[in-house]
Amino acid sequence: MPIKRIEVRERVMTRNDELAAAVRHTLEEAGVPAFNLVSSPGSGKTRLLEQTLADLGDELRMAVVTGDVQTSNDAERLARHTDRLVQAVVTNGACHLDARQVGEALAELDLGETDLLFIENVGNLVCPASWDLGEAEKVVLFSVTEGEDKPVKYPKMFEKASTAVITKTDLLPYVPFDLNRARRFLHETNPDLRVILVSALGGAGLEHWYDYLRSRVNVARAERRSLHTA
Amino acid sequence: MHELSIAMEICRITEEAVGPDRLEDVIEVGLDVGIDADVVIDNLEFCLEALLAGPPFGRGRPVIASRPGDDLRVTYLEVDDADQAN
Repeated sequence: MPIKRIEVRERVMTRNDELAAAVRHTLEEAGVPAFNLVSSPGSGKTRLLEQTLADLGDELRMAVVTGDVQTSNDAERLARHTDRLVQAVVTNGACHLDARQVGEALAELDLGETDLLFIENVGNLVCPASWDLGEAEKVVLFSVTEGEDKPVKYPKMFEKASTAVITKTDLLPYVPFDLNRARRFLHETNPDLRVILVSALGGAGLEHWYDYLRSRVNVARAERRSLHTA
Repeated sequence: MHELSIAMEICRITEEAVGPDRLEDVIEVGLDVGIDADVVIDNLEFCLEALLAGPPFGRGRPVIASRPGDDLRVTYLEVDDADQAN
């Protein structure tokens, strides 16, 4: 049997990375910072976004793309808190969003009328770390009910994130969660990580989260201005 | 968990390299997988064996080399060239 050998040498993630670069370029041109929210299931991504949409909806024009393995439940929950379009991506079994899905969702959004974009990834602390979506920053959430050692158990996700949000802090009196130990693990994994503590239910810490979002919107606007005047 | 997505992307790269009409002729897909690539090699191999054994492929098999680093790459393809030789 004559066999032909074809040299390929192609990185498997090349296509996704190209699409992610195009998404990033589109967002930077529009001056829209995108936050890729990642966590294990049940950490409170949707709850934090619900509260953020409710509290900042009059101040910032926020767009949301949600990813779920099945159902558009999260998108429906979020749509109750905003008049703006919430894009639901059902991955049909895939454990992460990819750049193609985000690019297609962006096409439905009016970026000229958007101040910031949230991408709520599939609940999973492993796979989404490997897929660039074209976001400006990864924000990793973990709740006080999960145990403080998440950063050392899933280091890649925490290494790639710029910000860690510790959620459900209203439950701290009731669970054996050592906050100092959690902070130590976070900074051992990623010394540059910004850490924000919130209770979306009780409201504690939300102002820090909102200030962080406002600052990123201001930076993106300034970058856009310099991009267009250069 | 995401090995199936990666396996499907490898199949797409294979199709791009050999063309959609020659997928049945693919007999070997060579891969370099870095030990830091966040891929469980056994899982990836299992997914690829399943995909390459069925349509539109049929008789392909993965040959995976574990490497240092985080590279994840299709290195080569081997194709039965009997039809082209005749």
